[in-house]
Amino acid sequence: MTTSDDRPTMIEFKDVHKYYGDYHALRGINGTIKAGEFFSLLGPSGCGKTTLLRTIAGFEDISSGVIMIDGKDMATVAANARPTNMVFQSYAIFPHMTVAENVGFGLRKDPRSKEEKAKAVAEALEMVGLKGYGNRAAHALSGGQRQRVALARALILKPKVLLLDEPLSALDKKMREHMQVELIKLQRQVGITFILVTHDQEEALVMSDRIAVMFEGEIAQLDDPETLYRRPANKKVANFIGTMNFIPAEILSETGDKVEIEAKGLGRVALDIAQAPVPTGEAPVVGLRPETLTLLYDDQKAAERETEGLIDEVIYLGDMTYYDVYLGGTDVEVRLSMRNVPGRPVLDVGAKVRVAWSPSALVLFR
Amino acid sequence: MKKAPFLRSYTLFYLLFLYAPILLLPIFAFNSGKVVAFPLQGFTLGWFSEMLADENLRIAAKNSLIIALSVASMSTVLGVFAARASVRYSFPGKAPIMGLIMLPLVLPEMIVAMALLVVLLSLNVPLSLFTVIIGQVLITTPFAVAILTSAFQSLDKSLEEAAMDLGETAWGTFRLIVLPLVMPGIMASFLICFTISFDEFIISNFLGSGQPILSVYIFGQFRFPAKVPSMLALGTVLVCFSIILLGFAEYMRRRGIAKAGGKDSGGFL
Amino acid sequence: MAATPRSEARAGLKLISPTAIYVILLLAVPLATVLVYSVMTGGRANVSLPLTFDNYAQLGTKWVYGYILLKSLLIALSVTAITVLLAYPVAYFVSFHIKPERKSLWLFLITIPFWTSYIIRVSLWFVIIGKDGLLDSSLMSLGIMDQPLNLASYGIPSIILVLAHAYAPFAVLPIFVSLEKVDRSLLEAGQDLGESRWITFLRVTLPLSMPGVIASSLIVFIPTVGDYVTPKLVGDGKQPLIANFIETQLLKLQDFPQGSAFAVVSMLMVAIVSIGFVFLNKRFIGGQK
Repeated sequence: MTTSDDRPTMIEFKDVHKYYGDYHALRGINGTIKAGEFFSLLGPSGCGKTTLLRTIAGFEDISSGVIMIDGKDMATVAANARPTNMVFQSYAIFPHMTVAENVGFGLRKDPRSKEEKAKAVAEALEMVGLKGYGNRAAHALSGGQRQRVALARALILKPKVLLLDEPLSALDKKMREHMQVELIKLQRQVGITFILVTHDQEEALVMSDRIAVMFEGEIAQLDDPETLYRRPANKKVANFIGTMNFIPAEILSETGDKVEIEAKGLGRVALDIAQAPVPTGEAPVVGLRPETLTLLYDDQKAAERETEGLIDEVIYLGDMTYYDVYLGGTDVEVRLSMRNVPGRPVLDVGAKVRVAWSPSALVLFR
Repeated sequence: MKKAPFLRSYTLFYLLFLYAPILLLPIFAFNSGKVVAFPLQGFTLGWFSEMLADENLRIAAKNSLIIALSVASMSTVLGVFAARASVRYSFPGKAPIMGLIMLPLVLPEMIVAMALLVVLLSLNVPLSLFTVIIGQVLITTPFAVAILTSAFQSLDKSLEEAAMDLGETAWGTFRLIVLPLVMPGIMASFLICFTISFDEFIISNFLGSGQPILSVYIFGQFRFPAKVPSMLALGTVLVCFSIILLGFAEYMRRRGIAKAGGKDSGGFL
Repeated sequence: MAATPRSEARAGLKLISPTAIYVILLLAVPLATVLVYSVMTGGRANVSLPLTFDNYAQLGTKWVYGYILLKSLLIALSVTAITVLLAYPVAYFVSFHIKPERKSLWLFLITIPFWTSYIIRVSLWFVIIGKDGLLDSSLMSLGIMDQPLNLASYGIPSIILVLAHAYAPFAVLPIFVSLEKVDRSLLEAGQDLGESRWITFLRVTLPLSMPGVIASSLIVFIPTVGDYVTPKLVGDGKQPLIANFIETQLLKLQDFPQGSAFAVVSMLMVAIVSIGFVFLNKRFIGGQK
């Protein structure tokens, strides 16, 4: 992962609010997006991520607050004058035009000569892998091709920021995975800021330098993918991104940079204060990702800690197996995932097992 | 498809009932007998030449054409304003305004005509082709609004946003994106308003100045048995004319759908 | 494009203003004038104060007004019932027994007569069933009859026949549209559960297509109840309906207040019947949930 901290700021939100009548769609958005960053707005539908994207593009006014793009306040700048371009969820390809007319649409007022514009269109099409498609009718294109046309049409104007509104949601799984890689390559090639709206956490993790996770009009956490995954700021983020086991715990003591807890089924654990994000006032639980738990076979020894377990359910997936395991003779059930490798048989329901885990993989929500 | 011999023959019979009077048009328009009666006499084009020689008919046809073209243009323009506003924006008073615009669809036409006539008479406005036009526009505008509303509704809003996003002004977006895509709807609206106006009787009769207008003229002529055969010739011409116009409207509609890459979902009514 | 509710409202109002002003001046104002006239004191071709409800009282006392209204209502309802009943099997046939790609062609065939001149279609009926008309001359020359039938003089039945023919194509389309929306798997489910075809039709298809039937009824009822041409041509012109009667009152007798009051009551009658249809429709849609 690249660190974006040393790059200049491209977009800045200061306490942005948006109301639709009584509905409070954006509830105090703050944060910055860096130049050249691949940034994602991630959240469930209705969380305000698309609204936020549309306020950047200028399709929606904001009720209060400030949006700065490249150092300029956008309050009085209309959509058609902003240094942003958008790839729409429906791609919004103009159906009555050819591919080349679509791509060249934004060049209408460009002072360059006809030949130069045609050359720019050809280059843009080549960049998205549609060389020679210029004369095709737009409505005859496949989904993936439409998306490429939309990309070329936006990028030909050399925007400072490219906005992508769920651009991959209409594609099938194979095509989506293929386009994810292509988009990453394209972003590196052109070097401008990409802001992607998605509800697919995997897509956001794969593609982004940084991700803002949004719930109910607020940014719940803004971090790079690894931090987001390993140190989610609260249970909601933890649940939305990947799978996490939650185990009830009791806080025994908190001294300086250490927190000592008693987790049901795991016993006493001393955690670093970095493993305990800002308290939210909930009943304390510790979170554990399935892959940080390991079943111990035969005479294997745990590197750090181990706990007794009883297998309740086995879910075989081919390359790996999920086990739901009761911990330490309690009713606390956790899911753990094991790679299936030769010489390591898949265990049966009801088997008594030993589970290895590491205190440093725990996150404390309280 | 399942076979349904009874339903099929019923439907064919129904169509025959619908078409029966119209089928008489060409039969007797080319029949040389002076009276509309079987058995047929001989073939003649005489009724057509009598029709063409009729000076009053020519004036009536010209007047009707002027009225229908004006009415179709006016109601389509008014329809574009209303349909665009109702699809695109929400504003106070939208429901009552749209309700008033669509009201003539559910009012007996006679009442619309009489209400307008009473006001025109009390304001001492002389009746003319112009008063027929403004009255008919009230009747045709709801049809224009209905057709154009569905045309504007099928327009993806993100297309307009995309054009704005790519630097176009509001007017540029309307001219380059919206207008070409709703053009089939505009054409269909124009053709249908034209047809309704051309055929309209009540307003033409009561708000006209006594100048001949085709529908009123035809109505009058049918009372004279001697005039009936040439009216049947005229009817034959008008039916062919309508079918051509309708075929054209249907063609435009299909082209519009094909252009937008959509699927055909039935007739344009 | 960036629109707050207020600027959006302004843009919307601005855009609709030409059409809105047109209908306010040329429709709302005249209708309001009729309403005002209906409560003024009458004279020949003029109106004066004081305001009075006498005109409405007259409508109640003189039998001819009620007779015209009731007759028009009954004729229009009969025409509506006949056209809708005759149209239903046609709509059903096109929706269920015609290949999808051929449906537009059939609908086109059904709607063409509607787009040919209404005046000519009605006048043709006059030619067919009128005095010395085609029907009588044919029947007599074939020796089936020795006296002219003169169907057109049969008054109300002949008016109903002509109107039912004139508005028939109107009725097919809405029923067709609602039949198209019927989920075909529901019918298979019905038959799968052992229902006969006829029962499936009664219990599934017919209720689901009721909104279309009601829309058809409305579409036929409104122009029929206000028809002016047919009663002039057939029925020997002796069976005036609402529109003809308004003409007599307003133009021939020039009794503006009385004619206006009659127009207002006719409008109310049409509105009440139409609202009744819409209410029925709501109940059907509500019942399906």
